[in-house]
Amino acid sequence: MARNRGFFKKTPHLDMNPMVDMAFLLVTFFLLATTFKLPEQADIELPYSYSEVDIPETNLLTITVDRQGLIYLSLSNHEFRRPWLNRMASIYDMEISREAEEAFSELSGFGLPLEELKPWLRLDRKEQLAHKSRGIPADTLNNELSDWLIAARSVQPGLRFAIKADQVTPYRKLDRVIKTMTANRILRFNLVTEKRTEDEGI
Amino acid sequence: MKEFDEFEEFANPIGEGRRKRTVSRESVFTDMNAMVDLAFLLLTFFMLTTTMTKPNVIELVMPVPSDEDRAEDVQPVKESRALTIVPFPNDELYIFRGLSAENVRELSYDSGELKAELEDFMAVTDEPMVIVKPHPDSNYRNLVDIIDEINQSAVRRYAIDDFREPDRAILAEAGIESSAVKNEVE
Repeated sequence: MARNRGFFKKTPHLDMNPMVDMAFLLVTFFLLATTFKLPEQADIELPYSYSEVDIPETNLLTITVDRQGLIYLSLSNHEFRRPWLNRMASIYDMEISREAEEAFSELSGFGLPLEELKPWLRLDRKEQLAHKSRGIPADTLNNELSDWLIAARSVQPGLRFAIKADQVTPYRKLDRVIKTMTANRILRFNLVTEKRTEDEGI
Repeated sequence: MKEFDEFEEFANPIGEGRRKRTVSRESVFTDMNAMVDLAFLLLTFFMLTTTMTKPNVIELVMPVPSDEDRAEDVQPVKESRALTIVPFPNDELYIFRGLSAENVRELSYDSGELKAELEDFMAVTDEPMVIVKPHPDSNYRNLVDIIDEINQSAVRRYAIDDFREPDRAILAEAGIESSAVKNEVE
């Protein structure tokens, strides 16, 4: 063009359309390929294994045992959380308010004895996370864990169980959980591990 | 419809003496920079708040628990075909065959010693039975390593059992001290 000899009068226009496409493609990929990290769960470093079996995504009750041996529970299917809590409340003869039920169905995991659970459910998110967990009791005198498991099985038949524990959780804490499960005739369960690649070795 | 007609009027006003204007046919140039920023912001958000979940699971099947009182009814495993693996606190590992304290040996996790031991045991025993008895103060990781190793080997049957007084006695006889086992764990 004879007019634009030498220099451009206007700044170059970059067509951003393909870049936007690519960016949204990446977003979609990450949205679908990953799941949200649960902020309230205890910090667990999983042990490694060569197992090829994938963790079940649904119909799973995860019993998490952290380094100190505190026990947390997490039910994968949202729709069963409220009946589960109600079942537990009827076993212990407690009243649960609607707000508490709502809050409970939103939760992915919790680790408190039942009497502390009710007031805790009324706190807002930040306060909930700040609250120090005492774990769910599983000692022989007060085995709430056992009742939670029974309640879960009754509201959701065909429920599967998984134990997720830290590498340095003492075996005696695990033993308590396993004994509680076998006493309730839960004989098949999974141990959650992280995939071991050749570099970690055994 | 009345509303639609009014809208038409608003979008394409007919002024005096002007012909009805239609929507411009030229392509509209939009500046996509802002949208790209937003897209990358979302991308960064999702990258940081999610984890690529790679966990896998080991499936366990436990036997029906037997009552303590009926311990005598439980079929004892024939001594010659049992290999007992005892993970100990501080990442120590002891194994012995049968019930004698003479062949108590210490193994380490990282070496292939456990693997070799399992293979050897499988070769010399016709109905091998592997029993893992973790000490209450051993790490969970120790148990998982052992189960993983067993799953990788040719062992078909294994059991996870309690570390009881007789086991402690066998180890003590071989010179490995451990505190007395309490029956009530909690």
